[in-house]
Amino acid sequence: MRPLVHAEMLKLRTTRSTGWLLLATLATEALMVAFSIPKRGAQEVMVPLDDPGLMAATIGTGLLISQVLVTVFGVMAFTQEYRYGTITSTYLIEPRRPRILLAKLVAATLVSAVVVVATLVLVVPSSIILITSRDGDVTLGVQFWQVMGVGFVVLAASAAIGVALGAVVRHQIAAVVGVLVWMTAVEHVVIPALPALGRWMPGGATLSVLQQSTSNGLDGDLLPPAGGGLVLLAYAAMAITLALVVTPKRDVV
Amino acid sequence: MRASAVELRNLTKTFGELVAVDDVNAVAVPGQVTALLGPNGAGKTTTLRMLLGLVAPTSGTATFDGQRYDELVDPVRRVGALLEASGCHPGRTALAHLRILATAARLPRRAPEQVLEEAELEGDARRRVGDYSLGMRQRLGLAAAMLGDPSVVILDEPTNGLDPPGVRWLRGYVRRLADEGRTVLLSSHVLSEVELTADHVLVLSRGRLVRSARLDELRAEAGNCSRARTPEPERLGAVLDAAGHAYRRTEGELVVDAAPERVGELAAAHGIVLHALAGSGGLERAFFRIIGQSDAAAQPAEVRP
Repeated sequence: MRPLVHAEMLKLRTTRSTGWLLLATLATEALMVAFSIPKRGAQEVMVPLDDPGLMAATIGTGLLISQVLVTVFGVMAFTQEYRYGTITSTYLIEPRRPRILLAKLVAATLVSAVVVVATLVLVVPSSIILITSRDGDVTLGVQFWQVMGVGFVVLAASAAIGVALGAVVRHQIAAVVGVLVWMTAVEHVVIPALPALGRWMPGGATLSVLQQSTSNGLDGDLLPPAGGGLVLLAYAAMAITLALVVTPKRDVV
Repeated sequence: MRASAVELRNLTKTFGELVAVDDVNAVAVPGQVTALLGPNGAGKTTTLRMLLGLVAPTSGTATFDGQRYDELVDPVRRVGALLEASGCHPGRTALAHLRILATAARLPRRAPEQVLEEAELEGDARRRVGDYSLGMRQRLGLAAAMLGDPSVVILDEPTNGLDPPGVRWLRGYVRRLADEGRTVLLSSHVLSEVELTADHVLVLSRGRLVRSARLDELRAEAGNCSRARTPEPERLGAVLDAAGHAYRRTEGELVVDAAPERVGELAAAHGIVLHALAGSGGLERAFFRIIGQSDAAAQPAEVRP
């Protein structure tokens, strides 16, 4: 299994899109930090400058942005291979296809951990600098550490869901566009409009497990954090199971 | 080198209504080049993909010394394959592409450089594959197939995209692989290629194996055949029909089941301009006849995709 995982990591490292997507994501997060840390005395903000939950809310938002990236990376693990026809050589090297799926899941999880670290390395110091420069109190409370730790699990689950989706859908543009539309549009509309449904969606579950209900104006609408975590893991388990069932049966033509 | 024999037994694949491969029984043995010959859509690629575990047979088996591809230990060291659709990410260099394969297959670190050298691509190893010509990509595919120094080599339309020197190079390369004792199974719709490299020919038509013969047998059976190039293919066709000579139209050419003298006389008699006229090897004719017969036999039960 190790050589297969190693090969998957090499695949990511030897395409330029990997680096560019990561850079674009981090740039978005830098903008997010710049715009979401409120000025002193600013009105109508979800989390004011002196709120002890501000740091937790900021890294939570950063992780939500990175979640989109790792999901897309996950989707691309298979769809890229189908798009360029490299899936053939991949399956020639390891014809036991569940092992390829597993290697891609492991690789995507490792990548998601790297992305979480990159996100934190960017967001935490820049937020601290910005809050301090505005004379705010930097509070690294229990919630902050919880969000940080849980971030690794959430992004790993998202990457795994992406890998499994890509294995099932295979068509790169359809899968990537579908995921982006779902994560950045559908859930953003449905979760606040229909919380009874939205809280069971992967995005709703993510918001609850990352404790982002306040910063998104959804107090009381979401599941408790542990419940959200379970829902998200259940989605990952279902997606992986579906991919495990479907992948070995399909003809690669 | 102890190479495995490839064995297809009652191999069948249906896609919905279409029978792509229909009860094929064949063997490819070590030390020989076996050519899977047939027009496009005859089922060659599907047959090879079933052999390699990429497409699941509807029934029957395709094995290497009795083992299915997915039962092989270290398949890349036993079997190397170049498939038509097996691609490369255009943003990767050739070396990176091969390193990924070598890493996954636990091959020696030097393997990518070695096969690139054999494919005469060492000078372009660090160029992005997107900048490669079609012929270079085909060589890279061949290099990838040889990465594990396999004893069985499977090549799907290997001459695709190669220029004439490339084709000549490939011919020598394939011949050498067989002479080293490897089992070589290749597919082609280009008869002239097979004629110079193959020892044994399997003719596929509409998914059925319509002939399995040594190349020299086929050659002996065949007589003369010619290729004519004309700006008026319809007229020449009509004249040949009237004279009772069967023919087949390929890209810009008519392949006629008659000696070039006869075709030239007919064209002259009807004032049809010929830009080229040449006698052609016997295999073309034999192949043409085999395909023609099987087509005629298959007419009543014809299934179109």
